[in-house]
Amino acid sequence: MSEILELRILPPLAIGRLGASKRPVDNYEAVVEADRPLGYRRLEPAQTLEVDVATGRIARAFIPERLTFSEHGKVRPVAPFLELWALTSDGQLEPVTTALLEDNGLRPSDVRWRAHVANHKIFRRTGKPEDRIDADSGEFSTHDARALEGICANFVDDARLPLGHVQFIDPSEEFPEIRLRFTPAAGYVYGSTTKATDPLIHSVLYDSERGTWNGYKENASAIDPALTIPGQIYAGEQVGDFWVSKGYLDDECDGLVYAVLDVGDACLTAYARIGAGPPAYAPDSFPVRTVHDELEQALLGPDAEPDAVSIERAEEIVRRALETIRLMNTAVMNGNTIDGRTDVASTMVRQDANDTGRAFEPIMATSLVDMKALEALHQSLLVALRSGTAPWFADVLRRHDEIGDLTDKGRRKMPALMRNADGRGLALTRRQVDIVLKLAAGPISSEEQP
Amino acid sequence: MSDPPPETAGMRSRFARHLDPVALGLTVTAAPHGARSIATLELPPAEFDWRDYAAMLLHVAAEIEHTLMVEYLFAAYSLGGPDVPASLAGKVREWQEIILGIAKEEMGHLVTVQNLLTAIGAPLNLDREDYPFGSPFYPFAFSLEPLTLGSLAAFVCAESPPSWSGDEADEIRDRAAEDEGADVIGVEVLYTKITELLGDPHRIPDTVFQAQTVPFQASWDEWGRGYAPGAEGPEAANVPGTPAPDLLILEIWSRDSAVAALKQVSEQGEGLEPSDAGERSHFERFIGIYRELATLDADALGRVTRRVASNPTTGEAIPGAAPGHAITHPEALWWGHLFNLRYRMLLTNLSHAFALAGPDAQSRRGRLIHRTFSEMYNLRSIAGMLVMLPLSESNPEQLNAGPPFQMPYTLELPRREHDRLLLQRDLLGAAAVLVSRLRPLTAERGERYLTALEQSDRLALEQIEVMLG
Repeated sequence: MSEILELRILPPLAIGRLGASKRPVDNYEAVVEADRPLGYRRLEPAQTLEVDVATGRIARAFIPERLTFSEHGKVRPVAPFLELWALTSDGQLEPVTTALLEDNGLRPSDVRWRAHVANHKIFRRTGKPEDRIDADSGEFSTHDARALEGICANFVDDARLPLGHVQFIDPSEEFPEIRLRFTPAAGYVYGSTTKATDPLIHSVLYDSERGTWNGYKENASAIDPALTIPGQIYAGEQVGDFWVSKGYLDDECDGLVYAVLDVGDACLTAYARIGAGPPAYAPDSFPVRTVHDELEQALLGPDAEPDAVSIERAEEIVRRALETIRLMNTAVMNGNTIDGRTDVASTMVRQDANDTGRAFEPIMATSLVDMKALEALHQSLLVALRSGTAPWFADVLRRHDEIGDLTDKGRRKMPALMRNADGRGLALTRRQVDIVLKLAAGPISSEEQP
Repeated sequence: MSDPPPETAGMRSRFARHLDPVALGLTVTAAPHGARSIATLELPPAEFDWRDYAAMLLHVAAEIEHTLMVEYLFAAYSLGGPDVPASLAGKVREWQEIILGIAKEEMGHLVTVQNLLTAIGAPLNLDREDYPFGSPFYPFAFSLEPLTLGSLAAFVCAESPPSWSGDEADEIRDRAAEDEGADVIGVEVLYTKITELLGDPHRIPDTVFQAQTVPFQASWDEWGRGYAPGAEGPEAANVPGTPAPDLLILEIWSRDSAVAALKQVSEQGEGLEPSDAGERSHFERFIGIYRELATLDADALGRVTRRVASNPTTGEAIPGAAPGHAITHPEALWWGHLFNLRYRMLLTNLSHAFALAGPDAQSRRGRLIHRTFSEMYNLRSIAGMLVMLPLSESNPEQLNAGPPFQMPYTLELPRREHDRLLLQRDLLGAAAVLVSRLRPLTAERGERYLTALEQSDRLALEQIEVMLG
């Protein structure tokens, strides 16, 4: 018998996406087509589990014929599954199934789940604990959908912010695994009292008599070190020197999911992180630097080991750069004069000028930033890498310690025109840079490469 | 004083007849390794006025920068391969990166010379001879050679300053002369001549320098790709410890800016000391490699490069040319043709970009600049294929092919923009034919590259069709 020794929830981090449709989006893979290597990735339908929310059971597993990201005018949410896994006395990490539970003298109803999510965006600005919005499902072992209702001291009486729901999937003979599904909220904007007639909001939740969010203001020129950078990242309007909040709030959240199982005398627990972000409107594209890259670096370190260094990895970085360009108005992001107007958008050019007093000056030569031309340039990088030639552009990558270099040369390093979380130029992770560096330092072409 | 050698043999006669050493006032001090100098002429050479003569000399300078760039690229691509001793692998890659960096800087010189031509209202020159040519100004007869101590000695001499002397200088000059069959002269002779001429207001009046041509010139902002010293001096290139290139792409709007540009270009080539920014000249970098290469025994020396054929061509060797090698292996031959075509596309795009200026042409020029760099990436990729393929199927010498760098029949652009687009479309069409010929011959690596190249060309073609309406 395999004895359950420890529990895990996999994936340990799952990010859902908001959507008001009742049916979550189907599974897919984003693949590079062999005969169109410069094209955008093709979304290939993949096996999907359809859940009957009423019973909590998986109704069927199927591969959809075609993918749709909205239906009846509503976005289909991304609703991740969280699977319970066990480290067993066999030394294996294996899915917890009804059979494994039975082997340990347990039933699915012995598994206790709990989800605690929060939206602390208002609290993060005002610093007032009464502005925290939290939702806690409490422990449960049944298979009904558990609404995650955000509670906030500064809401109007009895108001709740819907943050989605979690559901313990009822295992069956066909699908015996122990799973929880997190379905994010609809993606609505909510308002504060006195904004009742605002056509943008779904409903009023925040009580402007109790809290200060509606009308909260930050001084654009006086940066509070306690606040996140960049400042003023909330819907508002400029009033004098202040950016004044319109009192909006959204239904994004993040938090923790817990699983508890008593095995013999031991109380085993596991947890995973969940979050909900906005819908992906370009699901066939990936950012040049992702959470995955951050986690990989945190886990494996900034130095890429030999097995991690391959032209395919370099190609993936370039491909994501290409996909990023596709989604940008590169002429605007470069600070070009558009229709006779300068400084038309929030860009790194404006950021550099505002933060340092540097003159407002486009980053690249204005002739070089036509989006189609930049796409073609990055595609030509992909073409060359496909020959097996080592990358030659390591020297133009921005290093982590160069993000504050505001010389022309420094501002033009890659990735260009984009901002890092600290408000300066975006750099790839040190590990990503190291992969390119190690390849670039190797043979330009080698018989050993495919 | 010895007679200057008849170095203009093999050149286009229309050029060669203007490079008569006597007419140029060229003198060569006694051998061995006679130093060359050119007297200031009181009157312009026959059939010239001074401005036009300056333009002719700049055309020669452009050809020299172009040929040096190509020769350096060829030498760099020859380095490496499966025979490199493991203990030297890092060093060989470092040498390769240094030489590639110098080649990139030569491209900067070439472009700066085009700016000088533009500033004085002269036609551009992106042309060069195939095989071989020489003149009193050319350092040595053009030849594509794998890197050896001999070919490297020629590079050192070509970039050497006039004051370079001593035992090491003599030894390297001897080796270069043995390799080239004649003394190798430094390019500084020509640059000194041009600087003297453009700096003289009596022969070249101020009005010759046209500031309004700057929009038609290449700028570092557009062409530099970030290759310049950083805020803290030279930055590392692709190989740790190897400085990244510093592309000198200098705009010209006056006599002072012209003379300053020529001085900077000369110093980057032949400087004896690192610059204030810590950069080493081409001469210093080449002699550094030479010293390291000279410490190797014969066996190791023979293994730092692939056995790449010198002067590879896609056809029969040119009559009167330096000893060359026709590429006859079917796959290598078609890669050679594709290389030559992409080389033409590079030069055509470069020339076309110079022809476009002003806000209306801004994005079109930017697109051409990007496509010029794209073709550089293609040349690098195809050269990588060629140096790994055999020269011929029988291949008695077991030589590999190499990038042929053969010039097209013309680099002249059609006069109308519409017709220039037609030319671009034609070149893409020719590439599609070559890709289809290569496909059945190549293995997985080549196939992956061709598939991507084909798609890239198709996308470029779509853009051209849109522009053509």
